[in-house]
Amino acid sequence: MKLDRRRFLGLSAASVGAVAFGGRAAALQAPWAVPRKWYDGEVRTVFSYCENCFWKCGITVKVEGGRVRKIDGQKQNPKSRGRLCPRGQAGVAQLYDPDRLKRPLIRVDGSERGEGKYREASWEEALDYVAERMLKIKEQYGPEAVAWFGHGSGDSWFVEYLPAAWGSPNAAKPAVSICTAPRETASQWTFGRPIGGHEPVDWTESRYIVLIGHHIGEDTHNTQLQDFSEALRRGAELVVVDPRFSTAASKAHRWLPIKPGTDLALLLAWIHVLIKENLYDRDYVQKYAVGFEELAVHSNKHTPEWAEEITEIPAETIRTVAREMAAAAPRAVLPPGRHTVWYGDDTQRMRAVYILNALLGNYGMPGGFYLAKKPYLEKYPHPPFPLEPAAGGCSGSSGGEEEVPEGFKPRADKGKFFAKTTAIQELIEPMLSGEPYPIRGLVCYGTNLFHSIPNVPRTKEALKKLDLYVAIDVLPMEHVMWADVILPECTYLERYDDLVAIAHKTPFVELRQPAVEPLWDTKPGWWIARELGLRLGLEKYFPWKDVEEYLDTRLQLIGSSLEEMKQKGTLIQRGRPYLKDWERRRRNPFGTPSGKIELYSKTFAEHGLDPLPDYTPPMPVPQGFYRLLYGRTPVHSFAKTQNNWVLMELKPENEVWINREEGRSLGLRHAEYVWLENDAGVREGPVRVRLTERIRRDCVYLVHGFGHKGRGVRLAYGRGASDNALQTRYVLDPISGGAALRNNFVKVVKGAPRPQRKRIGQLVRERRL
Amino acid sequence: MARYAMLIDLAACVGCAACAAACVLENEAPPGHNRLWIRQRELGAFPDVTVEYRPEQCLHCEHPPCVPVCPTGASHQTEDGLVLVRAERCIACAACIAACPYDARFMNPAGYVDKCTFCEHRVARGEDPACVETCPTGCRVFGDLDDPESPLHAWLTEAKRVDVLRPEMGTAPKLLYLNTPSKRGLANHESEVES
Amino acid sequence: MTTFYGLPGAEAFWHWTTLVHFLLVALAGGTAFYTAVLGIRRSESARGLAWLALAFIVLDLFMLWAESPARFRFSHVWLFLSFEPASAIWWGAWGLATSALMLLLLALGLGPARFWAGVLALSSAVVLAYPGYALAANAARPLWDHLLLAFFPASGLLLALAVLVWLRPAEEAAPWLQVAALASLALAALYPVALASGGADARLAFALWLRGWGWFLLGGLLLFLAAFLARRVPALAGVCALAGAFVLRSWIVEQGQHSLFVHGF
Ligand SMILES: Nc1nc2c(c(=O)[nH]1)N[C@H]1C(S)=C(S)[C@@H](COP(=O)(O)OP(=O)(O)OC[C@H]3O[C@@H](n4cnc5c(=O)[nH]c(N)nc54)[C@H](O)[C@@H]3O)O[C@H]1N2
Ligand SMILES: Nc1nc2c(c(=O)[nH]1)N[C@H]1C(S)=C(S)[C@@H](COP(=O)(O)OP(=O)(O)OC[C@H]3O[C@@H](n4cnc5c(=O)[nH]c(N)nc54)[C@H](O)[C@@H]3O)O[C@H]1N2
Ligand code: SF4
Ligand code: SF4
Ligand code: SF4
Ligand code: SF4
Ligand code: SF4
Ligand SMILES: [Mo]
Repeated sequence: MKLDRRRFLGLSAASVGAVAFGGRAAALQAPWAVPRKWYDGEVRTVFSYCENCFWKCGITVKVEGGRVRKIDGQKQNPKSRGRLCPRGQAGVAQLYDPDRLKRPLIRVDGSERGEGKYREASWEEALDYVAERMLKIKEQYGPEAVAWFGHGSGDSWFVEYLPAAWGSPNAAKPAVSICTAPRETASQWTFGRPIGGHEPVDWTESRYIVLIGHHIGEDTHNTQLQDFSEALRRGAELVVVDPRFSTAASKAHRWLPIKPGTDLALLLAWIHVLIKENLYDRDYVQKYAVGFEELAVHSNKHTPEWAEEITEIPAETIRTVAREMAAAAPRAVLPPGRHTVWYGDDTQRMRAVYILNALLGNYGMPGGFYLAKKPYLEKYPHPPFPLEPAAGGCSGSSGGEEEVPEGFKPRADKGKFFAKTTAIQELIEPMLSGEPYPIRGLVCYGTNLFHSIPNVPRTKEALKKLDLYVAIDVLPMEHVMWADVILPECTYLERYDDLVAIAHKTPFVELRQPAVEPLWDTKPGWWIARELGLRLGLEKYFPWKDVEEYLDTRLQLIGSSLEEMKQKGTLIQRGRPYLKDWERRRRNPFGTPSGKIELYSKTFAEHGLDPLPDYTPPMPVPQGFYRLLYGRTPVHSFAKTQNNWVLMELKPENEVWINREEGRSLGLRHAEYVWLENDAGVREGPVRVRLTERIRRDCVYLVHGFGHKGRGVRLAYGRGASDNALQTRYVLDPISGGAALRNNFVKVVKGAPRPQRKRIGQLVRERRL
Repeated sequence: MARYAMLIDLAACVGCAACAAACVLENEAPPGHNRLWIRQRELGAFPDVTVEYRPEQCLHCEHPPCVPVCPTGASHQTEDGLVLVRAERCIACAACIAACPYDARFMNPAGYVDKCTFCEHRVARGEDPACVETCPTGCRVFGDLDDPESPLHAWLTEAKRVDVLRPEMGTAPKLLYLNTPSKRGLANHESEVES
Repeated sequence: MTTFYGLPGAEAFWHWTTLVHFLLVALAGGTAFYTAVLGIRRSESARGLAWLALAFIVLDLFMLWAESPARFRFSHVWLFLSFEPASAIWWGAWGLATSALMLLLLALGLGPARFWAGVLALSSAVVLAYPGYALAANAARPLWDHLLLAFFPASGLLLALAVLVWLRPAEEAAPWLQVAALASLALAALYPVALASGGADARLAFALWLRGWGWFLLGGLLLFLAAFLARRVPALAGVCALAGAFVLRSWIVEQGQHSLFVHGF
């Protein structure tokens, strides 16, 4: 006890020194001097990749005086090309955030989950505690009763490596069923290829781009934004379909302010015009696609006039845009977007998007979609895991059936939807109901349970029921402070992670390596996973002693080495981006059952799903309510960067966007504070009103990620409103398992108090003391 | 001797503020102050609406009103046309802050006036300023107006018009804007302000 | 509708300490100027007043130093190591320093008193004038009109006279007070006219002034009372003058610095 306390004091003393703002020895300076700038010192550079969103740009970290000072884009890296988005730039502020989790915490005996009462523990004790309870769950219910949630590049250890070794198929990422699942499933069953983490849109070669939602510019995935801008610079025409005038819309030649939830009707009408006016690429379709006849018959009814009724976009505009895209084809493209879980018909909407692309003959062609290839990289030669990793990913397999090995149970969400990947939100239910079998434990790595997964009240109930909830995170987020054991990971600038292999025009492998030693008593994910694995009796899957050995082995297998990677940062390989490159090698890129692009999906028909997309109306908006839409701000990532002072100074709160006329009719004033209340009676806010001309009258808009309720994140706490808190309802997409979030309706309640929060700059100065 | 200038193509700028974040870290701007910020203006009315994103920072005026008012010579103009502050000489009187028509200066709590330097320390090494280097849309270009080889020239010769902030101030700014939406006739009145 | 990511340096850069400085520097300049006049006239009271003026200067400089974020960097020496004749503050620094020296010599009775008084007349005039110059030089701030070149010296002298009428040796100051009050009043009345007929920012400037017209009414009234009472109840006139001039000067300094750029353009 005594020793522990001493060690604790020693650590905190050291850490104060380490994080003091502008930590240079100011006392030693002559009084008339002004503080020296970091770039006048000795600067060391370290190659790594960014973790401020999931795009994984290569970075060059500049270290001076033992501190990370600046992060720049890695010039040789195909993702960043020397440039970074604001979140990538601001990563330093996460590393030196004084609110970070600093040492393992165990919930005080007798306290409830959510009360936030913790005691400090050693890593030994915390890991023993976790392992003991996990083994107990395994003994009583089986390995599948532990669910594994994870997100971020460190998640490989916790949704792939460990769960597969441990034997739980219930591993999931929010980036699948609350993000890309519809577009991946649709792509798999249309093209027989994934879209993948890096959308293979051949932006710069394109001459006509149609964005459906997809608010590039606010969605600042770096490379995509670079390519998008370059395309516009080269003269590409841009059409933006969005009920809100997005940043992208401000760059567009046409903005189609569509009625929310009716995009499929618009897409079907475009298909109709392309076919009826004979504007589609006949040769391409004949050569590469099947099911055109069925499609042609099916599309008879989808006239522009029919779509005008539904979408509120004039039939003439629909026709004109279809003709324009046909004129530019095959250098005309409808990019897939990324966050595609909207209304519940999402896989079908994405199918329509792909069918249109196929009719334009652009898949595998310059200016359309290129064919992304994974780089060559070998797995570490550990003994085979009993299970295949089940989470899937942006690029994970989306196939149908799955075989369950002897002695193991199928995933707990099995049977609810068609796709093979796991739907994270469907794993919450078994925690409550015990159906189809109980889930009693949860290991949650970097997944924001209360901001990323809809129906928070249900999640909280489920957490209360568990035998064990372990959180591995970097910040005391609200959901983290519900865990039984909190394992503080060090940030991405302080650790190695597994190699990432990026499917790209030029496929490449990236290395993450530490730029500085971990602060406080934090540990890298690989270490946590390995220590836990050893305690769980999974030693045989951890033949490597440390991550350097692990990485070096993998790299040696492809003729490189850890040393080389440290010097290079990125290992670039050659790609085969176009159909002609594949044909030259007599290879067929289309992994569908027919080996061709499937305009009509036989597999869907066999599973009782619509083989061709058809329009179904979204849930209607109740009287007196508005449809709640949401999206990104360029300066934040999800709900994870609101404690980053650099970003928070740029954007400290979100606003609720309301059409100005509509707001006036409600008697609202610009910048006043209101509550938002959804149709289930959940109230959220206070949030500032933004009266704007940039949105339709039938919906309101929130930037996702604000409205933090965890008091430990002192900058984030109590600013703005959380969209997720209002999303108590979701519609399950029966094909992909996606949780469609845009089926929530809110009304505006006046008279909320203005939150009494200090300015960020002031808080930052105070926090450092 | 050079005549450094920066150009921002507002047709491409998406107001992502990567430049602003890069500047904070490169130049250690203190919490609560920015050398660079992004202004967003909403123009027009639904559905004929647009939005203008306009990054702003010190314009390195050719005739900088912030220089003559300085009583110590701390605020000065270099041979290359950069307007800089010698921090050791600054008495923090704020006369230059008052003189700047563009709110480009602020008082650094360390006791001197601070502002955009066009990243002279990087320019001296032959690099682009931090904001230019990171800008994902590539809408920022830095260069020497007197050097025909400079990338600025290609952009300027192709430009239909070049705008500067508050030209009536007679400051001859060297922060130049291309394709200003409010000046392109895309929409010419600002959406009503209510606050 | 305009919003920002990050903010321009649009905060007020001068604080209440600056308003006090604008008062103290006026008291210093005005008393020094009056001392110089008395000194030239070989008046007995000059020596006593010199101590007072010196005290005002010392107080003002101490306050400037104490509130300066640069106080421990001693960068103020640069005021005297550089030649910046375009800068009002540079003139102010030399004006104050020279005045302080002359006042000290006068107070101690060293050297040619009349000559010192002559020099002091010039240097204290600089002290009276430079604040108005420092404001009017800013084309960017529409409230800081060229008229302030006259208003600040006039009201500065008035402030000093207001204090002086309380002191027995300076009872003769009352007629001066009346003149200075009337001059300040006239200039204050002209001020909105000057704003409204100014350059490109005229409309904005006038609109801004309209927000503060109540203060002007109050200040104007006080100045009028000061002029009216100057010869009858000098002490009360002094109070009115002090309050009136302080209100007007402070409003102009305080409101004038707020950024317009952040809202418009
Ligand atoms: N800065 C930043 N960038 C990010 C992220 C971040 O957190 N921060 N996150 C990244 C991730 S993982 C993802 S998934 C992406 C998400 O970014 P996107 O894939 O671009 O997301 P969307 O949901 O398509 O885009 C939201 C837009 O859809 C519009 N919209 C809402 N309803 C409808 C509708 O019914 N029809 C149409 N046509 N449009 C509609 C909204 O008004 C909004 O403009 O962003 C990525 N980029
Ligand atoms: N309501 C709503 N829900 C959404 C979305 C939405 O727009 N609205 N978007 C959806 C989409 S597209 C996506 S991709 C998902 C994203 O879902 P998440 O990835 O769950 O989202 P974040 O809010 O980024 O949460 C990341 C968590 O990881 C922690 N973290 C950050 N860095 C590290 C690290 O280095 N190590 C560890 N161990 N933890 C770390 C953060 O503190 C935070 O707790 O959300 C989905 N859910
Ligand atoms: S897009 Fe931005 S936040 Fe995401 S990885 Fe790249 S630099 Fe980092
Ligand atoms: S980084 Fe570039 S695109 Fe982003 S706001 Fe700055 S100038 Fe505009
Ligand atoms: S923008 Fe302001 S600070 Fe910069 S040179 Fe011009 S006047 Fe001086
Ligand atoms: S604040 Fe500093 S740089 Fe500005 S005018 Fe005063 S001394 Fe010069
Ligand atoms: S040039 Fe340098 S100092 Fe100026 S705004 Fe850009 S990054 Fe900041
Ligand atoms: Mo996502």
